[in-house]
Amino acid sequence: MPKMTFLERDGTARVVDAPLGLSVLEIAHKHGVDIEGACEGSLACSTCHVIVDAAWYGRLAKATEDEEDMLDLAFGLQATSRLGCQIVITPELDGLVVKLPAGTRNQMG
Amino acid sequence: MIYLDNLATTQPDPRVLAAAEPFFREFFGNPHSAEHRMGQHAAEAVEAARAQIAALIGAEPREVVFTSGATEANNLAIKGAARFAGPTGPRRIITLATEHKCVLESVRDLAGEAFEPVILPVDRNGLADLQALEHALQTPTLLVSVMAANNETGVLQDIGTIARLARAAGALFHTDLAQAAGKIPVDVNTLGLHLASISAHKLYGPKGIGALYVRRRPRVRLKPLFSGGGQERGLRSGTIPAPLAVGFGEACRLARLNLQEDAARIDTLRLRLVARLQARIPDLLETAGNAPRLAGAVSLRFSGARALDLIAACAEKLCVSTGSACTSAEVAPSHVLTAMGLSADQAARTLRLGIGRFTSAADIDQAADFLANAYDRLARAESPRPATPFLAEV
Repeated sequence: MPKMTFLERDGTARVVDAPLGLSVLEIAHKHGVDIEGACEGSLACSTCHVIVDAAWYGRLAKATEDEEDMLDLAFGLQATSRLGCQIVITPELDGLVVKLPAGTRNQMG
Repeated sequence: MIYLDNLATTQPDPRVLAAAEPFFREFFGNPHSAEHRMGQHAAEAVEAARAQIAALIGAEPREVVFTSGATEANNLAIKGAARFAGPTGPRRIITLATEHKCVLESVRDLAGEAFEPVILPVDRNGLADLQALEHALQTPTLLVSVMAANNETGVLQDIGTIARLARAAGALFHTDLAQAAGKIPVDVNTLGLHLASISAHKLYGPKGIGALYVRRRPRVRLKPLFSGGGQERGLRSGTIPAPLAVGFGEACRLARLNLQEDAARIDTLRLRLVARLQARIPDLLETAGNAPRLAGAVSLRFSGARALDLIAACAEKLCVSTGSACTSAEVAPSHVLTAMGLSADQAARTLRLGIGRFTSAADIDQAADFLANAYDRLARAESPRPATPFLAEV
């Protein structure tokens, strides 16, 4: 089973199982990691915003324009920001590291 | 009173005022108040205006971010791009010595945030030295910012080439279009721009509003300057002034409609003005006479009189200026003219005139006569200049 790491807001690194085919948002929810995901992966909010470790960012499939539009609105956006709901675990992503941002902004109001 | 200071600001077109007025009076809703009809009405008008602004520069409406003017747009582009890039990656930010103060000062301010400002020289015609640019780009560069049309001389830089050099080096390219937008054709895709600033009041729109073009494909990201409600794609918090936005949109629509016609007419007036003045003042010199320039921009050097004295002598009848409005109150000579190799004395004898949409041929003739008459009086009064060879200007 692939693993992935969430760096939480207090700096704690949480290494969890990352089943193939699940999104980072789904994995976070499965393990009680504090990512909101208000729109449940329908690209209508930016509350599952994560900051991907720079070493891993280039290995992800490129973000779609819809995802980029949502990221525009994310709080604390950084150069390696992505939406957790759009990163789906593949064998190549075994070991992925993402950081939780300091806060989120829900576009659904 | 004849107004020939159209590089400082332009008279709002009456059609701009007519479009904006209802949004000052009855349709005063907040365009971000999506819950009610008044808000929605303002929002629709703002979005229609955004589409007009985008159309003027060949952009998508979503790529247009409203700001308070070109100064803010330039600050947002330069500081926003640098701060988003953060502490890793290229440090270098390149601009020209003849840029507007708000660009130069934004770039210089970033030195305090561990960026490396590089201010490149220009030639005697005010044009960027492309070899110097290529050399500077050999060091990894975050951003290049070069204005399209200069606000004192009207000199037009080869933006397409400069943008291509910047992109080839992996840098972002920003251009200040404050003087160029609506005056010369601009297409963000043909030119390959990442970021571009526009000001409404330079193109017969209202003061207090401008826009920053922010490319979406590939996406250009900025760190906002202001904290707030996250309006304008999170890039510029604050309520959009709907009346100003609507006026700005109308100004852009009119500019696109009249661009060729305005430019041709204004160019004819410029030639008329220079010819009429030169007939009376044979040693009159046109700054950057050999460079491509904006149709309405005239920068003239009077060997026998100081520009401030000429302005004062014509003050009751004519509005003209020395350098840019932002700096002309200073005693220091224009940084644009000195960067082009003019001495402080030569810069002090240089007058800036701007011809616009509402300038008539009669205005031009009268203005030329006022200036030539004043010059005759001033040049006679000025003490004869030394004729010994070693003191002569080279």
